[in-house]
Amino acid sequence: METTSLAPSLKNIAPQQEYLLQASILDANRDVLLHRLRGLCDNAESNFETFADYEAVYVLSFLESSAVQQSQAVSFRVRHALDDPEAPDHIRYIGQAELGDRARPTLVRACLDVACSSNVREFLQEMGFKLDYDCVMKGYFFHKGRMKVTVYKIFRLLQPGKTDSSNWEPLSMSHLVELSVVAPLGQEQIGEDMKNFAEQLKPLVVLEKFDHRRLHN
Amino acid sequence: MGVSCVYMYPVPEGRSGAHVVEVLQKQVETIGGVKMGSFVVDCESYLSIMLSVSKTLQILHNTEYPASCFAVLDSGATLVADTLFNGLLSHLKAYYQARKGSKIESKGNRYQLADFVIKIGSVTLSGSFKGILVEVEYCPSVIASECWNLMKELLQSLIGNIAESPPPSLKMKMDEIYTPAMTMLQYLEHFNNFRKAAAVSQPPR
Repeated sequence: METTSLAPSLKNIAPQQEYLLQASILDANRDVLLHRLRGLCDNAESNFETFADYEAVYVLSFLESSAVQQSQAVSFRVRHALDDPEAPDHIRYIGQAELGDRARPTLVRACLDVACSSNVREFLQEMGFKLDYDCVMKGYFFHKGRMKVTVYKIFRLLQPGKTDSSNWEPLSMSHLVELSVVAPLGQEQIGEDMKNFAEQLKPLVVLEKFDHRRLHN
Repeated sequence: MGVSCVYMYPVPEGRSGAHVVEVLQKQVETIGGVKMGSFVVDCESYLSIMLSVSKTLQILHNTEYPASCFAVLDSGATLVADTLFNGLLSHLKAYYQARKGSKIESKGNRYQLADFVIKIGSVTLSGSFKGILVEVEYCPSVIASECWNLMKELLQSLIGNIAESPPPSLKMKMDEIYTPAMTMLQYLEHFNNFRKAAAVSQPPR
């Protein structure tokens, strides 16, 4: 989208795509996986890197919604680090999974990350967005080259918006494991690299590509 | 980054805008200003469609903050984000659309004079000249009330009595810590005035 003559190099960033594999692991077996990942990933000598994020999903949709219009609903995920109050808030847009080739080793979807000021929640609501749901994600973070591995637990908030830990309720007895890379369009090689990496975690976890649309059916 | 004040400088009848800009530039150079590149502040309006209440979203950029994008709603709520925010807007096409011919910008030379930065911009609305905006920034301070008198002295030697009092949107925030978003709100106020003036002089056919 060309809107101004300003700083063209910053405006015309190639569209980014997220390559994603997912799995889950029971809480009891989490530590074995963490040690395995520590051995496989970069910075093996340092301690586990942890994170705790509050995520709220905002949706913009038409009031009288037909099926066609419903499919046009736009959702933005707004994240905020609970363990690093200085860090900026974050809007993430994630597109639908690309249908494409069935033989593709990973899920591929459009992805856009934008850092922003901390009034983003009020701002989106004023724009017409509605809060869909919110949750807290707490866990561990690894990286190997440009691959990112997260092992985290999802907590439901008993009262929406209240982020102190007394208000958290674990959603399940498991941790979610995600292997992802965000890269510019058309770098199919990444999928193969990710598949090879995932092979090394078997049989602890079996990372797979999930079509989230099928989960609703 | 410091405190900025933005004023509209009127173009006397019968004079060309370019000529007045030239006179202002000469004046800045006479008092010791050194040209340090150029600047652009631009703004585009997006209108909400299909929502129950009509809303306007203004998207502004400033070369002084090249990696940022400023989004302002009718209430004055301002979101500061990465320039990638433009990419998010393209996903909102079904809800917010750019208003045709709303693109307005202030463009010109940027001068440095000791602790001050002076910017003299020609304002163009979809390509045609509309007026002149003068911005003076005092870099060492972030509290407007503490440096207003100093700024006023410089401003008055440049643009005279137009700078008798602080810009209206700044008046309420004289004791707050100044942020770049406040500069953008001042520009937006002037841009809206130029747009209104243009709409009055050229009624829609």
